[in-house]
Amino acid sequence: MANVRIKKYWVGIISAAVLASTIALPASQAASKVTLSIWTYGNVLDPVLVAKYEKSHPNIKIQAKKNDLDGSAQSLRYALPSTAVPDIAAIEISYMGEFRNYTQYFTDLNEMTPSASTIKGNFLGWRWNQMVADTGQTLGIPTDVGGLAVAYRTDLFKKAGLPTDPTKVGELWPTWEKYIETGKKYVASQKGKAFIDIAQTIYTAVVNQGDQKYYDSKSNLIYNTNPNIQAAFNYTAAASQAKLGTNVAQYSPDWNVGLNKGLYATVLAPAWMLQYIKQYAPKTKGLWNIADLPGKAGNQGGSALSIPSRAQHQDEAWEFIRWYTSAEQQKYSFINTLTFPTITALYSDPAVGGLKDKFFNNAQVGKIYSASVNEVKPFVLGKKDRLIDSTIGQALSRVQLGKQLPQAAWTQAISDITRAIG
Amino acid sequence: MSITRKKKSLDPKHIDDKWGLAYVSPFFLIFGAFGLIPIVFTVYVSFFSWDPLAGHDFTGLQNFRWLFTDPYFYIAVRNTFSIFLISFVPQTILALVIAVKLANPKLKFKVFWRTVLLVPWVTSILSVAIIFSQIFGQDYGMVNVAMHYLGLSHVGIGPINWVGQTIPSHIAIASMIIYRNLGYASLIYLSSILSIPRDLYESAELDGASKRQQFFYVTIPQLKNTLIFMLIVGTIGGLQTFLEPLTYGGVQGGDSRQFSTLALYLYEQIIINNKFGYAAAIGVAITMITIVISGLNYVVTKRLSGGES
Amino acid sequence: MRALLEWFNVPSTDRKRRGVSPWTYISLSIFAFLSVFPLYWLFVVASNSNEEISKIPPSLVPGKNFLKQLAAVNEAVPLGRALINTTLVSLAVAVFQVFFCTMAGYAYAKLAFPGKKSSLVVIIGTMMLPAQLGIVVLYLMMANYLNWINDFKALVVPAMVGAFGVFWMRQIIDAQVPNEIIEAAKIDGGKNFRIYRSVVVPIIMPSALVLGLFSFLGTWNDFLWPSLVLNDPNRFTVQVAVNQLNGTYTIDYALKMCGAFMATLPLLVLFIFVGKRLVTGIMDGAVKG
Repeated sequence: MANVRIKKYWVGIISAAVLASTIALPASQAASKVTLSIWTYGNVLDPVLVAKYEKSHPNIKIQAKKNDLDGSAQSLRYALPSTAVPDIAAIEISYMGEFRNYTQYFTDLNEMTPSASTIKGNFLGWRWNQMVADTGQTLGIPTDVGGLAVAYRTDLFKKAGLPTDPTKVGELWPTWEKYIETGKKYVASQKGKAFIDIAQTIYTAVVNQGDQKYYDSKSNLIYNTNPNIQAAFNYTAAASQAKLGTNVAQYSPDWNVGLNKGLYATVLAPAWMLQYIKQYAPKTKGLWNIADLPGKAGNQGGSALSIPSRAQHQDEAWEFIRWYTSAEQQKYSFINTLTFPTITALYSDPAVGGLKDKFFNNAQVGKIYSASVNEVKPFVLGKKDRLIDSTIGQALSRVQLGKQLPQAAWTQAISDITRAIG
Repeated sequence: MSITRKKKSLDPKHIDDKWGLAYVSPFFLIFGAFGLIPIVFTVYVSFFSWDPLAGHDFTGLQNFRWLFTDPYFYIAVRNTFSIFLISFVPQTILALVIAVKLANPKLKFKVFWRTVLLVPWVTSILSVAIIFSQIFGQDYGMVNVAMHYLGLSHVGIGPINWVGQTIPSHIAIASMIIYRNLGYASLIYLSSILSIPRDLYESAELDGASKRQQFFYVTIPQLKNTLIFMLIVGTIGGLQTFLEPLTYGGVQGGDSRQFSTLALYLYEQIIINNKFGYAAAIGVAITMITIVISGLNYVVTKRLSGGES
Repeated sequence: MRALLEWFNVPSTDRKRRGVSPWTYISLSIFAFLSVFPLYWLFVVASNSNEEISKIPPSLVPGKNFLKQLAAVNEAVPLGRALINTTLVSLAVAVFQVFFCTMAGYAYAKLAFPGKKSSLVVIIGTMMLPAQLGIVVLYLMMANYLNWINDFKALVVPAMVGAFGVFWMRQIIDAQVPNEIIEAAKIDGGKNFRIYRSVVVPIIMPSALVLGLFSFLGTWNDFLWPSLVLNDPNRFTVQVAVNQLNGTYTIDYALKMCGAFMATLPLLVLFIFVGKRLVTGIMDGAVKG
């Protein structure tokens, strides 16, 4: 009995101590340091660059919290009206449409010193505009851009009697019709092999080539009438029905295996995906090359850094953002992780615009991707972009799996979206 | 129960009242603040259209009207029940089998077998999901590869798409659930089996009952209460299945919502659709369903067990 | 046929048999293997390079890269710190849960107070509402009114009481503490709290500790709520830390599995020491036939 009583007192003491310690844990470092909190996802922030900044700014400590894409957006939504906001928030392209008009929750970077308008000219125009509100405030600075090109397997092309030189390959498909045609010829002659890893990636590629996406310049929803969206859907459906693609999910273990085994003749690759291929399929070195996308203009992915209006350390945050998105840092990122820069001057920098990658048979990575991003036309991003993307993605998967015919899938997608938005 | 009468002046009932409240009030305080308030607020929100950034408008019963006519809600109901059945029935059978084996008094390494079964229970869901995604991968997952090696492809059963097809996805998710819960369930049944008086078995054996008959006519009836308890607890848990499908295939539950469960559908409203009010309405609906099902379970099983408590 | 019958092996008749049939050991071994294999697989993936995972057939042998991956994980997130944080938080929650739920369970089992029945119904009712909704509201409370964001209080205080905990303790006390003992203590002149402390608590201590273990494990593995509330990497719990290892659109499997393995390892170690206690506790709390 006594034993248990003693135990219980100990438990009580320990628990009191624990509670005291958890509450008393110091909130931040010494008072002289400013802690910048950043909410981000994935690889937007390069830890090497962050460390470099901290070293050169000894009074700044950076605290980055990573979440997944959707989780990060959700956290932001619920935190913005309160003071529990970070000093810097990274926003991904699918969510820019939702956040860019909340001028009451984000600081207008044009009003900061020095004003954002002073650096605007350095950046890729259409990427800059993606975080500009309809009323003209600039709410975010773009970090990188995906760009898009076709990474193809030279060995598989050779086997199928197709040219292997990137210029000639680019001439095979100036349009998406020609791309699909080439694909059909490929699968006909190479039984059991897929022309493209996932047909649904065609949708994103075509959508980003239009001059409008889901909203018009007055922010009306036009996703169901925009002919480019329908074309994107139809091309993708056609590719699925011609069995050009497989059923894998991108970045899944199965997809990795497929890359290694050479199951896919082409992959629509943004610049950062090249890095991924290098890491996960190192044995395929020298078997790839890169050609232009049908229609040349292309993008997939990209992020921006913004400052919530109730953030505590706005000046320090702004200084960091300017530094992080400047030419020197973007150049570093590109050379090390192939995240394509948004600073246009770099496109003529030999280290960037002139980069050739040995893994991809000395493909002119810099040239091809700068060409592709330069061709992209600006279009309006709107609030429900992510929702519409996901729902149409579901429809395309159903077509790919043979569960629905394209027309039925499209009709269902429209009714799903209408219901979800209404 | 015979109790000697206490002196009036001590008046036990009132002392108990005061003490009862004292013991329970810290619990109530904290629970009230962090358990009850969120629930009350959630029910409140279900009558609004609520966007944290754009503001909220009172919409009355609109969310609930939508809910009744929402086919995806019913698909979520179907999925939830399907996954529950596919996971609960095999889980119970397997747990009973394991429990019977563990109840054997001559079994060596008892403690080892019992503890090792709990390992899946302590493994975090994220790890389990990664592993099961690999196991059920379509082209190179272990299950499909094993099927291929077993020659099933020659019989016409090709590689199964464990994510894209409805029932296979339910099977994959159910196996994750079974994997995590089997150890815990086995122990619960084991404990009840161990408390069954030996003479019941002995008299059954004297009556000439075979081992199999003993299992069905002695063990199972004696486990009735435990089975009922596990069924009720399992149903409540099953209706809230969320982490397994989320980590398996994402928030939307697949291209045709083949594994979108009720709780996952709710979560989707918060994250992707940004409709907190609608999510709250779904939450209220889930609670109602749970109450009804639990009540039904209780009544039906009580009836079946002949009114024993 | 004999093997089939073995599946329905019933305890008492075994006295006549020579012992336990090999089939029992074989099937138990299969279950044990299946229980442990996924953890083993985590380790295999974590210790090989990413290229290995993409091979078919997958390699089942651990590689040499584990320590290298561990260093990479540690560079990405303060893993050691996260482990300490998680231990502290889980311990605090466990201790408080046991403390409050035991007291409340005792009140429900043995004492009378106004509103006893209806409050119990309310508590049961709250178990039926999905947790995801509560999380959003709790977050709004923390962010707008309490200012507990990034504070461990947000992790510990709401978790200090739980419907399951009070239920469990009520059932335990009901089953294990007969009214006669309490009456006897009262007759001996014991006052209420003394009875609780010296009579009830010692009896139910093993089960209460099991509740503590449950709470500990549950808190350790929780990731939705901590990832919402914690912002400072030095305060991350281990599940949040592992979640930091994702790429934007891609997953570095070896890295992530290494993190996941390290997040589970302490639990396994804990298991070795208290596993037996956990097992008996679960069994004690089961509804008796």
